[in-house]
Amino acid sequence: MAPAEFDTTVDEPRGDVSREWELFVREATADPLHHVGSVSAPSVDVAREQATELFGWTAETLWLCPADETHRFAADGVALGDRGAETAAESTTDGSGGDAL
Amino acid sequence: MISVSKLLCGLDAEGDGLRYDAADKSSKSQIRDRKQRRPVVVWNCTKQCNLYCQHCYAAAETEPAPGELSTAEGKQLLDDLADYGAPVVLFSGGEPLAREDLVELVGYASDAGIRPVLSTNGTLLTEDRAERLREAGLQYVGVSVDGRRERNDEFRGQEGAFDRALEGIEASQNAGLKTGLRYTITKANAPDLEGIVDLLTDRGVDRFCFYHLDYGGRGADIQDVDLSREERREAVKRVCDMTREYHERGHEIETLLVGNYADAGYLVEYAREHVGEEQAERIEGYLRRNGGDPTGERVADVDYQGNVHMTQFWQGYSLGNVRDRPFGDIWEDESNPLLHALRNRSDHLTGKCAGCRYQDICRGGSRLRALSTGEGPFAPDPQCYLTDEEIGVDTAGGVDHGAAD
Repeated sequence: MAPAEFDTTVDEPRGDVSREWELFVREATADPLHHVGSVSAPSVDVAREQATELFGWTAETLWLCPADETHRFAADGVALGDRGAETAAESTTDGSGGDAL
Repeated sequence: MISVSKLLCGLDAEGDGLRYDAADKSSKSQIRDRKQRRPVVVWNCTKQCNLYCQHCYAAAETEPAPGELSTAEGKQLLDDLADYGAPVVLFSGGEPLAREDLVELVGYASDAGIRPVLSTNGTLLTEDRAERLREAGLQYVGVSVDGRRERNDEFRGQEGAFDRALEGIEASQNAGLKTGLRYTITKANAPDLEGIVDLLTDRGVDRFCFYHLDYGGRGADIQDVDLSREERREAVKRVCDMTREYHERGHEIETLLVGNYADAGYLVEYAREHVGEEQAERIEGYLRRNGGDPTGERVADVDYQGNVHMTQFWQGYSLGNVRDRPFGDIWEDESNPLLHALRNRSDHLTGKCAGCRYQDICRGGSRLRALSTGEGPFAPDPQCYLTDEEIGVDTAGGVDHGAAD
């Protein structure tokens, strides 16, 4: 298999009211650091508190990265907008709330 | 979701049909079996809402939020859900009717073999829109009303919301859509409970879902109006009494309780006292098959930006994002130790839950409320209202019921 290009950028936000923090944990020193999702928090201190509540029972290492500083790249056909080219071509609107209100 | 009417009065629960009928139609047994285990997926397809409700778990805003999934992305999400075998997608918000492409998305879900249902405040549901939604394949409309007129309007932040919600209910019914009530019980509106049921049954509504307050979004900010344990027990008893009274009068309303699986244990206790031991055992068996709190297993949530949550109320923690990989891959990834542990909860529950005789029909209740205690994700739900005697645990005696591991 040819190496992926990772030239698809997934740059939509992961949160808006509060900052989103990508969360990584390691359960033992021999383990790889593992992405376990994200928490919403206004500051890294609050994010750390939340991550500790959720994973403190098992993790020995927590890493928190601001989602808005995290650059996400995907190979062709992986990201949502890339998974269904036919679907995208058939779409008629942009899906915004628009003037329904 | 616990069907009080089914358990106490033997009525077939509409929710069972909503969840499983699509799977039952499949000719392949492995697909039927697979779909039976897949979660109902709540999709908060927008954060925008025309109201500003005090208890909104999604913390919806009146203005559009950035990063909402587009129509094309929404369709791809629905394809992913169909591929994974999700039986039902619940369009929620914000207010899903704020999306002008809602009919298109509902139709797409229906064509993909997922049963589309709608959770709405009802105020934007016109006759025309209801008709188009029915034609697109919508199966059910749940309209939120939280008390009598003045109480509801104060709670929802807009005068006239109650009357417009009733108009929406009428429009939905006129279109031939199965329509039900969603009612979040708090100290403020608990007195209105029977009155609202009486009012809406007169208007032809026969399905009533009573939600316990969960502590997500703005719901976390109003814990002071949440019912006390004693008040909660009394409210649930009133739902049980009311359901039986309606059925005894020949009016077979459907009533459901959502969001606090202490209700499961309570229903067994209630049945033992009011209906009989044999029925109580039958009810407990049914609830055991039902499986207790569904967080991270039988219910999933995708928010307006594509973040996947373990329940719609738990928006502050996300397992991943459907823009990065398909929903099914995120949901199946038990390398996440929290997801794995919550699916194997009996190995981790602490405190009185560890020794509770109703653990297998409750599974600790709300993990979000448990987290609010600061005792971690496996602590007891602080809104469990069952007595030590009922659950078979002597907490007053200082017995250590710590985690099993």
